[in-house]
Amino acid sequence: MTKRVSRRDFLKLTAGATVVTGLAPSVRRMVLEPYVQPPEEVLPGEATWYASTCRLCPAGCGIIVRVINGRAKKIEGNPHHPLNQGKLCARGQAGLQILYNPDRLKNAVLQSGGRGSLKFEPLYWSEALDILVDKLETLSNPNRVAFLGGLMPSHLYKLTTRFLSSFGSSSPIIYDLHSALEGRNSTVQLSESLFGSPELPIYDLANAEVIFSFGANFLETWMSPVSQSHAFGTMRQGQLGGRGFLVHFEPRLSATAASADEWIPIKPGAEGYVALAIGRIILEERLGQASSHRPYSILYQNVDVQEMADASQIPVEVLHRFARIFADADQAIAIPGGGLAGQHNGGTSMLAVQALNLLSAQIGRVGGVFLSQPGPTAGFRQNPNPGSFENLSILIERMKSGEIDLLLIYGTNPVFELPTSAGFAEAIASVPYVISFSQFVDETAARADLILPDHTYLESWGYEVPAPGAAKPAVSSQQPVVRPLYDTRSTGDVLLAVAERLGGQVANALPWSDEVDFLQELATELHGSSLGAYDAKTPSSFWALWRQYGGWWTEKEIPREPDISTIVQEPIPVSEPVFDGEENSYPYHLHPYPSITLSDGRGANLPWLQGAPDPMTTVCWGTWVELNPETASSLGVSEDDVVRVISPHGELEAPVVIYPGIRPDVVAIPVGQGHEQFGRFAEQRGSNPIALVASITDPETGSLAWGATRVRIEPTGRKKSLARLESLAGEGRESIG
Amino acid sequence: MAEIEPRWVLIVDLDRCTGCQACVVACQAENNVPTVGEHETIEGRWLHWIHIERYWEGEYPNIKARFMPVMCQQCTAAPCEPVCPVFATYHTPEGLNAQIYNRCIGTRFCGSACPYKTRTYNWLRPEFPEPLHEQLNPDVTVRSRGLIEKCTFCVQRIRRIEIEAHAQGREPVDGEIQPACVQTCPPDALVFGDLNDPSSRVSQLATSHRSFKLLGELGTDPGVIYLKGGETNV
Repeated sequence: MTKRVSRRDFLKLTAGATVVTGLAPSVRRMVLEPYVQPPEEVLPGEATWYASTCRLCPAGCGIIVRVINGRAKKIEGNPHHPLNQGKLCARGQAGLQILYNPDRLKNAVLQSGGRGSLKFEPLYWSEALDILVDKLETLSNPNRVAFLGGLMPSHLYKLTTRFLSSFGSSSPIIYDLHSALEGRNSTVQLSESLFGSPELPIYDLANAEVIFSFGANFLETWMSPVSQSHAFGTMRQGQLGGRGFLVHFEPRLSATAASADEWIPIKPGAEGYVALAIGRIILEERLGQASSHRPYSILYQNVDVQEMADASQIPVEVLHRFARIFADADQAIAIPGGGLAGQHNGGTSMLAVQALNLLSAQIGRVGGVFLSQPGPTAGFRQNPNPGSFENLSILIERMKSGEIDLLLIYGTNPVFELPTSAGFAEAIASVPYVISFSQFVDETAARADLILPDHTYLESWGYEVPAPGAAKPAVSSQQPVVRPLYDTRSTGDVLLAVAERLGGQVANALPWSDEVDFLQELATELHGSSLGAYDAKTPSSFWALWRQYGGWWTEKEIPREPDISTIVQEPIPVSEPVFDGEENSYPYHLHPYPSITLSDGRGANLPWLQGAPDPMTTVCWGTWVELNPETASSLGVSEDDVVRVISPHGELEAPVVIYPGIRPDVVAIPVGQGHEQFGRFAEQRGSNPIALVASITDPETGSLAWGATRVRIEPTGRKKSLARLESLAGEGRESIG
Repeated sequence: MAEIEPRWVLIVDLDRCTGCQACVVACQAENNVPTVGEHETIEGRWLHWIHIERYWEGEYPNIKARFMPVMCQQCTAAPCEPVCPVFATYHTPEGLNAQIYNRCIGTRFCGSACPYKTRTYNWLRPEFPEPLHEQLNPDVTVRSRGLIEKCTFCVQRIRRIEIEAHAQGREPVDGEIQPACVQTCPPDALVFGDLNDPSSRVSQLATSHRSFKLLGELGTDPGVIYLKGGETNV
C-alpha cells in the first residue's frame, strides 16, 4: 500500500528525526535498566530510579538515583545493598552537586598559556587522543611514563594495569589523602602479616558488647562509615537485653568520641602503650577466658605495665579497669584506626591493638573480627589498594631527577593532598608532559598540559568490591543514571582507543571495543552462581539484573574467619613515637583530622557539604584551629581570634575555636579547605593543615606519619568571625539590628 | 480512606544519633533548601530545616558532647499558628503545621513565636548557578526572598506514598513513608510513622521510659518525640 506524503508530513518527519539525532547518546547505546521496572504507560514527569554505586569515598555503598525526565534529582541508599542497607552519609547525599557543578570541565582542554596559566583551549577528542598517542609513541623507554591514581573504579584499575603492563610500564601508583588519613595501607599490611591476607578486616560492631576504638573514627570517615554507623545503632539499641559499651582513645574528642561512653584523651603516639598494658594485665591476672591466653603470652614478654602507664600518662588503676572491662565482656573488639597509622610508631601500635583481639579470642567470632568472603567474586577483587607514602616518594624522586617524561593522573590531587615538604609541586614541574583526567581544574590539573575530563560517577560505568565488605559477599555495580551532560569521555574508553591506535601487544591485551564490553564480560562471570540473591537464565538477563539491582550479592551471610595459624610468636616491640620539630620551639602536637563533610578536601567544591556544619563546632565554610581553654588562655587568645600556626615546614592562619574536648598540648585543624583551585565554592577559603606536615614516615609501614609534626602558635591580634550555627553569646540565631 | 486521620510522628533516638549530618544534606536535597554561603551564616541567617545541636557537659578531661537533631516539632498546640496575620501557618487534619508560601508576607511573627527556633527566613533570593538548578526537586516549591520556611515532615513524600497506596486500594504500611532524613539516617536514629496506629513502630517507641518532648513544659505537645541517650530500653 502506498501513501502520499504531504509536504507538511514530510516536514514533521524531518523535524522529529533531527530531535532524535540531537538526543543520541555520546556513550555506547545501551538499554538502561531502571531499579524499578516502570509500567508501559509511564508518564513524563514520573520518576524512575536507577541503581548504581557511590563514589564519594572508597567504601562502595549502593545507591539508587531518582531520575525525572532524564535529570537526576535525588540520591538515596540502595535498600537491598548488603553494605549500606538503604542508608547514605552526608557526602553520598551531596553527589548530585558533582554532576551539576557549574565548574565542571565541559570538554578536553589544552592549557595553551602554559602550566598554571589557567588559559585553556578546547580540543576535539580526536586531537586530544592524537597528543596522548604521540606522547606514548615518542617515549624513549616505556618506564618513562608513570600513572598516578587515587579513587579509581575497579574496572578502570584493571584496564589501566593491563594497558601499562602490555606497554612495558610499571603498574599505577595509588595514593590519596583520604586513604592516608584512614590508614588504609597500614591496615592492609597489618592484616597481611597477621592473617596472611592483604585486605581490610570487618569488625562486627553490631554484636559487640565492648568496643575499644583506638583512633578509629568509624562514625565519620574511617573505612565504611555508613555500614559502621548502622552497626553502631544496632549496638546501642538493637541488641537483645543489652547496650554496647564504647571507649574511644584519641587526643581530640571527635564526633565518634562524642558518641562513646568514655573518651580517653590519649597522648599522641601512646595508643600502643595502652593496648600493650591492657594485654599484659589480662595475662598477668588471668582475666576473662584464661584458656585462650596461653599461645599469646610471649607477645607481652617485654611489657612493663608501670612503664606503659608512665609513658601514656594513664594511671595503672585506670588501665586495670579497662583490662577488666575488655576481658569480662563476652564480645569485645579493639579497633586500630587511622589516627594510629598517622604516627611514626603506627605499625607497632596497630599491631598492639589488634593483638588484644587475639588475646580475647575474638578473631572470627560473633562480635569480633572477620575478613570478607570473596565467594565467587574473587575474580573481581583486584581492587586498587593504596600504596604507601614511601612508594610515592620514589616516584617523586624519579620525577625530580628527570626520569619521567609523561605523567598521567587520575582521581587524586597530590599537589593539594601531599605535605608541601614532599616536594610534589617542584617534581611535577620537572616532568615534560602531564595529563590529568580530572573533571575539575584542581591544584594538580592546573599544573597539567592536557586535561581529558572523565564523566562524573553518575554518568559512568564501573563496579566496586566494597572493602571492608559486608557479611554477604558483594559487588556494587555502577551505571550511568543520566546521559553525560557534556563532551567528557570515560577514561576507560580513552585507554581502549589509545590501545587500538598503538596496535601490537597493547591492542592485543585490550581487545574490547569499549569499557562496557569489558564490564559485561566480567560481570557475567558471576552468572550461574547458586549463591546469588537473584537468578538469571541467560548471561544477558544476568547483565540486565546486575544493573537493575546495582550489583550482585549472596542470599545468605558467609562469614570468613581470618587464618591466625601462621602468626609469628614473638614479643610485640615497644616503639616510641618520634615527632618532627623541637619541643622547645614547637610545643604543640598538630592533629589534622578529616572533615566529616569535606573528607580530605574532595568535597570542598560542593555547596551542600560546605554549608553542612561540622558536628562538633557547628562551623561551616571555613577552617578553624581548636585549642583547649587552658591553652587558649595561656596564649591570651579567645574565640574567633586569628592565630598563626607554624611548623618547621610551613604556616597557616585561622580563627580559634575554644574546644573543651582536646588535650592542652594538642592543636587540631580540620582537613578539607585551603584550595587554590577547585571551583568557585572551594577556592580561596580556609587553609590546608596538611601543608604544614613533615614528610616523615612510619619505618614499619612506610606510611606518612601525618600526626607526628609539632607546631607553635602565635596570636596575630586580628579577629575573624567564623560561620557557626551556634551563637557564642547563647542568644537566638540572628543578629538583631 | 481510614476512619481516623493519621497522626504523623517522628522519633529521634538520641542514643543512636552520631551527629553525622547525613539528615541535614538529605533534607536540603529533597526540599530545595538553598545554601546561603559564609557571610549570611555569620549573620545567623542560615537555612536548614533540620540542624544538629551539640551540647557540652562537664570540663576537660571529664567532658561529654551530646547531639540533638532539631527540626520543626509539628506542635499540636503550635505557638506559630495564632500569630500569623495572613493564615499562612495552618494546621492540617493530620496534625502537621503547614506553611502556605503564597500567603506568607514575611512578618516573621511565627519565627519569633517558635520556641524551638526552627523557622527560617529567606533574607535573599536563593541562587542556583547553572546547571545546579537541575538538582531541584520538582515536587517542592522553591521559596523566594521574604518567606518563612521550615520542615514539613516531607509532606510531598507522605502524599506520594499515600497516592500510590490508594491507587492500589490499600493504606500505606508502617515504615513505607519516610521523610528524606529518616530514609538516609545511617544509625537508624530517626523513625517516622502514625501514632494513631497502636501497632506502628513509633507508637511502641513512644511508650519507652526514655521518651521525652523538647521543652515539653511549654505545653506545645510536639509531634517529635525524643528518646534519651545513654541507657537501654529494657
